[in-house]
Amino acid sequence: MSAGKASLQGSAQNGGTLVGTAGSNRGAGYWSLVWRQFRRDRLAMAGLTVVAGLFVVAIFADFLANDKPYYMRYQGASYFPIFRSYLVQMGVGKWPPELLNVDFKELEGETKVFPPIPYRSNNIDLRAPFADPSPEHWLGTDKLGRDVMAGVVHGSRISLFIGFVSVGISLTIGIVLGALAGFFGSWVDLLISRLFELMLAIPTFFLLITIAALLPPSIFLTMSVIGMTSWVGIARFTRNEFLKIRNLDYVTAAIALGVSNRQVMFRHILPNALAPVMVSVVLGIAAAILVESSLSFLGIGVPADLVTWGSILNEARSNSFAWWLAVFPGLAIFITVLAYYLVGEGLRDALDPRLRGS
Amino acid sequence: MTMSWKKLSLVMCLAVSLTSGCKTRDRPSAGPGRSEGDWLLAHMLSDPEQLNPLTSNDAGASTVLGFIFQSLLTRDPRTLELKPLLAEARPVISENKLTYTFKIRRDALFQDGRPLTGEDVLFSLKAIKCPLVNAPFLRVYYDSVVDARLLDPFTIQFDTREPYFLNESVLGGIDVLPRHYYDPDDLLHNVTVPKLIGAEGSLSENVKRFAEQFNKNYTRKPLGSGPYRFFKWETGQEVILERHDAYWGMGKEGIDQPHLYLFRFRIINNMDAALVSLKSGGLDFMSLQPLQYLRQTGSKRFESEFAKYVYFSPGYTYIGWNNAHPIFRDKRVRQAMTYLTNREQMVKTVLFGLGQVVDSPIYYFRPEYDRSLKSTPYDPQKALELLREAGWADTDGDGLLDNVIDGKKTPFRFEIKFNSGNSTRSSVALTLQDELKRHGIAATVRQLDWTIFLDDVRNHKFDAMILGWSMSVNEPDAFQVWHSSQAANNGSNMIGYNNPRVDKILEAYRREFDPGKRIALYRAFQQILHDEQPYTFLFIGKAVSAVQRRFHGVEVLPSGGLRPIEWWVPLSEQKYTGRPEA
Amino acid sequence: MWRYIVQRLVLFIPTFLGITLIGFLIMHLAPGDPADLLAGGGLGAAAGEGISLEKRGTVDQALAQWRAQYGLDRPLHVQYGYWLKNLFTLNFGDSFKDNQPVAVKILDRLPVTLTLNILSIILVYLIAIPLGIYSATHSYSLGDQATTLAAFILFSLPVVWAGTMALVFLCGGDFYYWFPPAALTSIDYSPQWPLWWKIQDRAWHLFMPVLLLSYSGFAGLSRYMRTGMREVLEQDFVRTARAKGLAERVVIFKHVLRNSLIPMVTILASILPGLIGGSIIIETIFSIPGLGQLGYQAVLARDYPTVMALFTVSSMLALIGILLSDILLTVVDPRIAFGRREV
Repeated sequence: MSAGKASLQGSAQNGGTLVGTAGSNRGAGYWSLVWRQFRRDRLAMAGLTVVAGLFVVAIFADFLANDKPYYMRYQGASYFPIFRSYLVQMGVGKWPPELLNVDFKELEGETKVFPPIPYRSNNIDLRAPFADPSPEHWLGTDKLGRDVMAGVVHGSRISLFIGFVSVGISLTIGIVLGALAGFFGSWVDLLISRLFELMLAIPTFFLLITIAALLPPSIFLTMSVIGMTSWVGIARFTRNEFLKIRNLDYVTAAIALGVSNRQVMFRHILPNALAPVMVSVVLGIAAAILVESSLSFLGIGVPADLVTWGSILNEARSNSFAWWLAVFPGLAIFITVLAYYLVGEGLRDALDPRLRGS
Repeated sequence: MTMSWKKLSLVMCLAVSLTSGCKTRDRPSAGPGRSEGDWLLAHMLSDPEQLNPLTSNDAGASTVLGFIFQSLLTRDPRTLELKPLLAEARPVISENKLTYTFKIRRDALFQDGRPLTGEDVLFSLKAIKCPLVNAPFLRVYYDSVVDARLLDPFTIQFDTREPYFLNESVLGGIDVLPRHYYDPDDLLHNVTVPKLIGAEGSLSENVKRFAEQFNKNYTRKPLGSGPYRFFKWETGQEVILERHDAYWGMGKEGIDQPHLYLFRFRIINNMDAALVSLKSGGLDFMSLQPLQYLRQTGSKRFESEFAKYVYFSPGYTYIGWNNAHPIFRDKRVRQAMTYLTNREQMVKTVLFGLGQVVDSPIYYFRPEYDRSLKSTPYDPQKALELLREAGWADTDGDGLLDNVIDGKKTPFRFEIKFNSGNSTRSSVALTLQDELKRHGIAATVRQLDWTIFLDDVRNHKFDAMILGWSMSVNEPDAFQVWHSSQAANNGSNMIGYNNPRVDKILEAYRREFDPGKRIALYRAFQQILHDEQPYTFLFIGKAVSAVQRRFHGVEVLPSGGLRPIEWWVPLSEQKYTGRPEA
Repeated sequence: MWRYIVQRLVLFIPTFLGITLIGFLIMHLAPGDPADLLAGGGLGAAAGEGISLEKRGTVDQALAQWRAQYGLDRPLHVQYGYWLKNLFTLNFGDSFKDNQPVAVKILDRLPVTLTLNILSIILVYLIAIPLGIYSATHSYSLGDQATTLAAFILFSLPVVWAGTMALVFLCGGDFYYWFPPAALTSIDYSPQWPLWWKIQDRAWHLFMPVLLLSYSGFAGLSRYMRTGMREVLEQDFVRTARAKGLAERVVIFKHVLRNSLIPMVTILASILPGLIGGSIIIETIFSIPGLGQLGYQAVLARDYPTVMALFTVSSMLALIGILLSDILLTVVDPRIAFGRREV
């Protein structure tokens, strides 16, 4: 197939590769061009803002929802329990004996400054199960009295974690396999393409359920399996890019100069091949979050004492009167996924040269 | 195997009057002049796996088969006494308590019109005993029966291995299968019962052929002697039973008379969808989940259309401590754990008040239950005292208790295992974990798929586990769970409990035919158990059902829950008429 | 062309074997087996009160016997070998749950899942194509932006959430009763009903499930359509057509559309693999007896033959789908056809 036809086909599938600028090094100028185009898309920017906001929430979850106060004055001494808990976790600090295993809310201190949501997602309070949303529990509680708002805040960490790690795994596998297939061609390509076919033909969700239901639940297992079943799209894009770029002059030159295959692949070709892959990455994160919520909904894949958006939603299934258990985590999943999709689509449009200037 | 009446409801209980919130019907049930007709649309959570009475394993199948098959004896639902059904009278028991002779009624017929004779009873036993028939558990249950023979076409005699007071109940509970239907070529004719026992390798061709066709060909079309006949099974949709108009027991004294024309068990996998279906008229009768009962069925409209019934279900949930584990070997630790479990609060929150704390493995409403046991209260102080006594203290300031066991310093860390798909056990585990954290004990929870969990539990690969036992309201026999011999070979003594005194009591109990003496024996047994706390007994649950108000004769019975076979609908209120076509 | 097809078919064989091997290994390497499940009193005991004391006793003999009966005590490669051998005669074995032939169970449920998916595909195409055309021809207009946003919202809506909300609020219960909450037919359904009634009843029951299955497709496919069509719109021949003075409508519907539809056709074939896994959630929520539900329950029940059969069927469908997609592309796209002929 000639390069022209290939690019037409390629672009129909991945919505935008740089035809015509082949040969030029896609350096910083290129990405700032993309960024400028991206900025003009209002929806995409809105999505990006939300994504950024979610990051902040995830990173600072401990400061937004915690059962320990920021600052406490107790028996004459000042304490900063949240910071101290970080130190203890890292192994460099210790709790003073009077603060060991205590319930901070019940301590008789002079002043206590609690975070806006004074609960952690796993604080059980058997006296307030299924509480309606109220000033005490802004988004209500679940069957064991665990605060839903805290669950949503801390759940963002897990969702993002799952999203990123799964996609990280599929990115690694996909790029490596796609690069190998695209670069070497012939029998290597044939073999790897068979692998693509295999992965596409496997009923992935079914496979996921099988693995998640049968093995002891753990998020690592879930993430790995999601990652290992969703790399085909990335691999294909990478392969297509490699196929195109490989025939370009600068690559031929590099090979002629004796640069090793590995260097050519990963230092020369790959940086230029990444554009369509980025879109897949962003969309992949959203997809991973959706899959995790489906698994939690079925009650598999996540350990019992971990509170995730999907696990709260699962509870909502058997307790449908407790609408707050369904609405809020569902909303969180929805907004997150929507934001990532908007960013992904915006990126796709920004990368497409033919859409520029319209 | 088990009595047919037992299969009529999914849960059982005793002592209706003790249950709070129980709304029994105001109208008197009973009396002649009950009209026939109408259908009952009952809820079934999932398809029965299959409808072969011997090889089926699930509760759904039990319910359905309970209307189709009958046995020699049955339990009176109100007095719980054994009374004859297919037999003319209770059996004659030999002096040495080893031989039971039953006389069979002459007027009993199968649903295809053929008469029920001793041959069918003998066949039914042989089918159970045949090692190649896919019913290993049933076979174990009938292990005590070693031989059987026909003294005449309507008299059958059984030999049992050893004196055991429950043998009468066991023998009386054999579901009688029609030989001419389940073994048309009479392949088992020449095989005697002793030959079948343990004979796996050396069975004749006939037996092998029989087993193969029995296992495969009868999963979807049962035929028995009961008042309801199998009509249709639409997979994933419903199972339909229709009244056998030529039922042999029609109009006879002392036998349940079937009034309703049809039982339609609608299969709806999802409890929410089922409740929705109930409210919109798609179902007449279903079990409610606690929250559905408490929150979603209180509207005026619902109350005017449905009556709700609350009753105990015999079976308890417990935390099993691995008695061989270094930490839980010491009974003081186990006692402390029970003091740390706020069982009353769990009943209130986890069971929504629909339950009762228990302290012994015997069903709470049976005479054998020792009411004098003082229930262990929630008392963290007492628990900590006991732990200190046992040598536990936080010697290194890391927030965890530790102790020196077998010469090694051991922190108080352990893992609680339970199975996925069970919200109650999960809640118990998480609550316990939370509570223990506050006292310096680090418990991790591990939720496993059911089969994996069972595997681990049976092989004693756990520190602590949460599980339940479901029982019947009949006489208990704690041998299988508490005797030391049952700890090996994947037996039911999964915690590895071993107490020679208890062993002796359990053995003596089985041989005791006097109920009064049995009660005394079990009193002693429960006292020991209460002291040793090998399990932390948690609670028994209450079940709730909703029934459409047009059904009369609905009441909660001592035998356990509701018995739809007794229900009827006055002509003026009947909703469905006629019968569906095949 | 035939040589190409045969070539591809031959290459399918290793792929196919690979897939079945993966399915087999996963099921068998996972701890726990069907004998354990039967020993525990089935799945009902897991969720319910607990293990029945009546049916217990020493379990070892029981387990050994069951395992022998199912052939589970033979080494793994032997089991796989037997399974493959049976496959050639299309014998998928008997289900562990109820001893029914798996092929029969699958055939029973296949029409249900097929109906669900086919209706869904039709609905998706019916809605997505016009939407896509509109979006492409009125790019960046307010309508396009609104449609885009709507598409994204639909795309992001988790089915588990939408489905549960639909069930609770629209399907009877305490709120509205617009649609039935479960099953495929009403209670008093009878085969004697006139055809029109039957169709109506079916439609009423299937509406929500099909809608829920399709809504994310609206978004995806319409976006695809939009992108594809926009590319075609850039092309020279379109400019030529406009320059010739043809009405815009003629340009769009006669020239552009035909070329844009090419990739859409190939997408059709890629829907086949999702047939089994795609509807698990919907079938669970609405208690629909389809293949998805069968598969999920089979996994939980360790019903190896059924799981393996579903894996196999699903992957065969998928491979056929891929092949079909490639062939269709060759047939429908004259550029590729020409290219091939030249060579």
